[in-house]
Amino acid sequence: MLNRWLKVRRSRAKIIVLCFVVAVIILHGTFNPLNPGYSADENQNHHSDAHSKRVESRRLLEEAQNDAAQGDNNDNKSYAEFDIAKILIDEEEGENEKPDPNKPYSLGPKISDWDQQRSEWLKTNPDFPNFIGPNKPRVLLVTGSSPKPCENPVGDHYLLKSIKNKIDYCRLHGIEIFYNMALLDAEMAGFWAKLPLIRKLLLSHPEIEFLWWMDSDAMFTDMAYELPWERYKDFNMVMHGWNEMVYNDKNWIGLNTGSFLLRNCQWSLDLLDAWAPMGPKGKVREEAGKILTRELKDRPVFEADDQSAIVYLLVKERAKWGEKVYLENAYYLHGYWGILVDRYEEMIENYHPGLGDHRWPLVTHFVGCKPCGKFGDYSVERCLRQMDRAFNFGDNQILQMYGFTHKSLASRRVKRVRNETANPLEVKDELGLLHPSFKAVKVSASS
Amino acid sequence: MPRGRQMHKTFNNIKITILCGFVTILVLRGTIGVGNLGSSEAEAINQNLIEETNRILAEIRSDSDPTDPDESPETELNPNVTYTLGPKITDWDQQRKVWLSKNPEFPNFVNGKARILLVTGSPPNPCDNAIGDHYLLKAIKNKIDYCRLHGIEIVYNMAHLDKELAGYWAKLPLIRRLMLSHPELEWIWWMDSDAFFTDMVFEIPLYKYEKYNLVIHGYPDLLFEQKSWIALNTGSFLFRNCQWSLDLLDAWAPMGPKGPIREEAGRILTANLKGRPAFEADDQSALIYLLLSQKDQWMDKVFIENQYYLHGYWAGLVDRYEEMMEKYHPGLGDERWPFVTHFVGCKPCGSYGDYSVERCLRSMQRAFNFADNQVLKLYGFRHRGLLGPNIKRIRNETATPLEIVDQLDIRRSVHGKTESKS
Repeated sequence: MLNRWLKVRRSRAKIIVLCFVVAVIILHGTFNPLNPGYSADENQNHHSDAHSKRVESRRLLEEAQNDAAQGDNNDNKSYAEFDIAKILIDEEEGENEKPDPNKPYSLGPKISDWDQQRSEWLKTNPDFPNFIGPNKPRVLLVTGSSPKPCENPVGDHYLLKSIKNKIDYCRLHGIEIFYNMALLDAEMAGFWAKLPLIRKLLLSHPEIEFLWWMDSDAMFTDMAYELPWERYKDFNMVMHGWNEMVYNDKNWIGLNTGSFLLRNCQWSLDLLDAWAPMGPKGKVREEAGKILTRELKDRPVFEADDQSAIVYLLVKERAKWGEKVYLENAYYLHGYWGILVDRYEEMIENYHPGLGDHRWPLVTHFVGCKPCGKFGDYSVERCLRQMDRAFNFGDNQILQMYGFTHKSLASRRVKRVRNETANPLEVKDELGLLHPSFKAVKVSASS
Repeated sequence: MPRGRQMHKTFNNIKITILCGFVTILVLRGTIGVGNLGSSEAEAINQNLIEETNRILAEIRSDSDPTDPDESPETELNPNVTYTLGPKITDWDQQRKVWLSKNPEFPNFVNGKARILLVTGSPPNPCDNAIGDHYLLKAIKNKIDYCRLHGIEIVYNMAHLDKELAGYWAKLPLIRRLMLSHPELEWIWWMDSDAFFTDMVFEIPLYKYEKYNLVIHGYPDLLFEQKSWIALNTGSFLFRNCQWSLDLLDAWAPMGPKGPIREEAGRILTANLKGRPAFEADDQSALIYLLLSQKDQWMDKVFIENQYYLHGYWAGLVDRYEEMMEKYHPGLGDERWPFVTHFVGCKPCGSYGDYSVERCLRSMQRAFNFADNQVLKLYGFRHRGLLGPNIKRIRNETATPLEIVDQLDIRRSVHGKTESKS
């Protein structure tokens, strides 16, 4: 009897111990999440979910990077652990010119006879004409990025691919490029930095007829499309957008300032002067942001940005500016990536380069992706993968000139599609991009 | 044993089994599923974000191609079959001449200047670390600036045109391809991605090279007497678009194909060139060896330039930038104001270089700013120092900017020079 009692007790004790062990395991798993670098304390410290998310991922991105480094971390010949911030420091302190808070912001001394100054200059400098061919104005494509490395470890790689893409298009179309990495005016930082830059370039390069601003996150996807310059001969500013969305709806995305043309003339200087006042950072920009959110449709709450500001300006002073602003939507001077990138294969099957529109977009603009920053408005994977696809889509049009193409839109590798021959000059590339008409020089041969 | 007890026992066992099973499920749920305390949702999202980002970064960095089915290693070339860059062409000069006469709107001389194409490039995948890509970006901006001021077009290559000739050899098939596709080009100028222009005013004196087809920086005594593997530098050189160049490329290529050919060639080169360490054949050593062993065939058309720094080895130059700014001015191109500063050995795109990382990056940044100052001058700015990213104004804005333009625009001063020569 006693034995049996003991046996029962023993088996019960076993069960109890078993359950106890199991309970400990459950509780351990609940309170200590799997990720080793992450402690519950850090979890408590966030001001907002978003912020902690980003900080944490950033830290882990750095860790991932360090883990990938090979060899001895103490070796000072290894790039992996090096902190570039150690190097990018200003040696000369210099007085930071503090702007006078009572003076309204100005991009520079008022010029009122620019058209005349410029035309005189062009007359005395016939070797620097503002038209390089009949109906072909001299164009300067302006883009840029920060002089500091991107926060995202692959951001600079995408900036590199983006500028290569622009170099290719511009080489084919006889357009020059200015890649800006300097902040000309500390007050107009961020998206406003393009205003002082544009003004400076217009005034320093009177030979330029059109300045084409393009964001660093926009890529050319139609290498064969030449802009219809004739269409703009009576206009001074060309942006992608819709008249109804801007003037009727007052929608803040009724146009896009990620890719636009500005003629080098007095009107443009005046426009820049009228555009700038919402830009100076700090209180001015904050207050302006509130006005813009109130006045424009669907605009979220954030500081004033250049795009909203120009929508507002055009709406308020349509009579003054509207006549010379062309809102283009017959082709994608700016093409929102979200509706384009999934259709590339369909485009390849059904259409061909040279159309520039929804069938084969001139520009695919990755608005909101921010590959250089910590995080954008879209998923990292979708953004980066699609940027690769857009890049390859454009690059294929360049490679086909030389007989190659990417193995697929996702692949970095290329494959030959045309064999080498002993008579290379008899081979014509399909798109006629090797020696396109828009690149022809109107000069007699002198070899 | 009485049946009742057996049943009772079985019953107990079943109870225990069910209990354990239940508990196991709880444990697994707690492990895999979402935890059930407070901020766990944010945790999970965070977790997903982190994992996603890491995975994407790893994929982007890796060389593997998710869509490429034939991942199998390429079969190596049969060493008995000589590698060729393409079908032999023997009448390129003639073909080109005919083409130029038929296409007067694509002349090889524009505004009195020979048409030059600058060719550079980098691998299609991200660098081993982010700093590498950042300096590749700065380097291409630097080249864009110089080329804009001097009317030179750029091709930035990011594709491996020929799997056999990967790495530093990739420039050979690329140069050949561009020469043949663009007969309007008179010169092709190859420049490494780790070379920076540091004299924005200096223009290559093409008039010196009318009788030559290859212009390369080096030292004749190092080449002919010492047979040194660094007698010439293939980081920055010019090739004329002509039959001679095609022939040279064909003669140059055989040491390139990767695998046993390149290894074996490397041994030959190390044995024959002074100071060369043991590693696979590189294009520079191969060219030196070629020019030495077939001197009579090639050297009469090769110009070994050292009057200015068509290639300037960085170590001896970067520390003297301040001194240069004080004493000299752009336009000299030589040791007083080097045309090109070339960061040989730094390899910022890889994981390791041959020099200290800090020294390399510091120097590259200085070279970049040194050059950028020359570009910004027209706009009235310069960098605060040679290291930092910020700039400061050196000239006030004016209502008559064109007076400054006339004085300072490099393009106009360069154009003026060529006019008078032609």
